[in-house]
Amino acid sequence: MARARSRKADPAGKSVRVDGAAPSRGRYVGTGNGPAWQPIDIGHPSYVALIEPDTAFWALVPREDLAELALGGRLVKAYRQKAAQFAREIHELRFGLKPSAVYFNPTERCNLNCSYCYIPEKMRRRGEHMSRDKLLEALAILKRYFQATLPKKTLPQIIFHGAEPLLNRDAVFAGVEQYAGDFHFGIQTNATLLDDAAIAFLRGHQVSVGISLDASTAAVADRTRRNWEGQGVYRQVVDAMERLKGYPGWSVISTVSSENLRQLSQLVDFLHEHEVPTCLMNILRCTLPRSRSVKPDDARAAKYFLGALDHAYALYRKTGRKLIVGNFANILLAIVAPAARRLMCDISPCGGGRCFFALAPGGEMFPCSEFIGLDSFRGGNLFSDDISAVLQSEPFQRVTGRTIERIEPCRHCAIRHFCGAPCPAEAHEMNGAMQKTGAFCEFYEEQVRYAFRLIADDKVDAYLWDGWDQGMQQTFAW
Amino acid sequence: MKNAAKKTVIAYRKKCQAKGTGLSHYILMDRKAK
Repeated sequence: MARARSRKADPAGKSVRVDGAAPSRGRYVGTGNGPAWQPIDIGHPSYVALIEPDTAFWALVPREDLAELALGGRLVKAYRQKAAQFAREIHELRFGLKPSAVYFNPTERCNLNCSYCYIPEKMRRRGEHMSRDKLLEALAILKRYFQATLPKKTLPQIIFHGAEPLLNRDAVFAGVEQYAGDFHFGIQTNATLLDDAAIAFLRGHQVSVGISLDASTAAVADRTRRNWEGQGVYRQVVDAMERLKGYPGWSVISTVSSENLRQLSQLVDFLHEHEVPTCLMNILRCTLPRSRSVKPDDARAAKYFLGALDHAYALYRKTGRKLIVGNFANILLAIVAPAARRLMCDISPCGGGRCFFALAPGGEMFPCSEFIGLDSFRGGNLFSDDISAVLQSEPFQRVTGRTIERIEPCRHCAIRHFCGAPCPAEAHEMNGAMQKTGAFCEFYEEQVRYAFRLIADDKVDAYLWDGWDQGMQQTFAW
Repeated sequence: MKNAAKKTVIAYRKKCQAKGTGLSHYILMDRKAK
C-alpha cells in the first residue's frame, strides 16, 4: 500500500516530513494530510487563486470551476505528485541558506537628517568612523570566514551602507581596491558626495551604486531628505543620476511615505526618463518612532503604489523599455519562482542573521541594519568574536527564529510565504513583540493580489528583467 | 453571437539555485533591463 507523505510545519516553524500521519493518507482535500487549499479572491473578473500555503503552491482557476477543481480531479492529483518537492524547496529557502552578504556600515555619521531614518540621530550627528586599518582588517576576517563557508565559485557581497558611507570614503575605497576579486561590492549612498572622481572609481571597480531619491520634484523630495540645516538635496541627487546614466550597475531607492505617495507615478516617469535600470520603491520602515509620523495608511499606500506599477507597465508598452521596480519584482518572483527572489525581507524567517548580517563601525554585529540602533540585538563583535558563534547568539536567534507560524494572523494566511510578515525590527519596536505583524500587512496583501492579476493576464515578463527565467527549471506546468 | 473562449487553469512554477541575499535597502542586479 502506498504511504502518504507530506511536509508540514511543526510548532517551532520547522518543516518536517509527515509519513502517513492520517489514515486517509492525504486522500481528501482539506482534511487529514490532504492539500489545505485556500481560495482567495484576487480581484480578477475571471480567475480566483487556489493556494496551498505551506508549499507556496498556487493555481489560478476560472471562477465558475473553483469548487470542482479545488475538491479533486487532475489539479489535485498533479499537485500531490509535486507536494513533497515543493515543501523541500520552501524549507531549504527558509532554513537552509548560509550568509553570503554583509551590510557594512563604515561610519555612524550622516550628512543628512531624513525623517524616516532608522539610525538614531545621536549616532548620525556625532558617531564614529571605522578607521582604514580596521576596515581592512574587517574585510580580511570576512574573506576568511566566507572562504570557509561558501562554495568556491560564490563571491560574497559587501554592501557599504549607512548612515552615509562616503563620509568615510578613503577607507571604503581602500577596501574596494585591496579586496577586488574577493567580494562583489556595492554602496548605498545619499549621492551628495558622489563627485566625478568617486563615480569614476566606483564604475572602474564595478561597484554597484544605489542612490536615494523620493520624488521627481524638489518640492516633494526635499520634504523627507534634508541636511542638518534643513536644506533639501534633490538637485545634488539628480546631478549624480545624470552622471551615472549608462552605467548598468546603478539603481535608485525611493522610500514610500505619506509625503511622496501621491507622486509615485510621476516618479516612475522621472526614473524611466533618466534611464534608471532598476529602482526600489520601499515602503518606509516604522522601526523608530520618528518615522511613524510619515507612515501612510495601508490602503492608500497600496492604491498609489499599484498605480505606479500600472504606470511603469504603460511606459514599457509605449517605449519598449522597462523600469524594473525591484521590490515588487521580488514578490512576483516569490510566486512564480520562489527560490529566485533576491531580497530576503519578504520571507519568513527574513534574511536577517541567516542570509546576511550588518556590521557597525565598531565591529558590532547585528542581524540587519534595521537593528543597528537597538542594542539588545547586538550579537557580538567581528574583531573579538567568532562569526559562527555570533550567528547562533540569542539576539540573532530572536530574528532567525521569528517564523510565520508563530505570528497571528499570518500563520493562517494563504500568502504567508509570499509576504513573510516583514519586518521583525518594526514588529518588535512598533507593535511590541517579534511575534507581531509588521507595519504594513494590508499593503502586502494588495501587492500579492495584484501580482496574481498580472499572472492571470499574462503580463509577468513586463515586470521582470529580460531573461529572468534563463537557466531555471520548470517544476510545474499546467 | 460567439461564445467566449473557455478559460483554463493557469499554474506554473520555476526553480533555480537560491541566491537571495538582499534586504530592502539595496539590490545587486546582475542583469540589465532593456
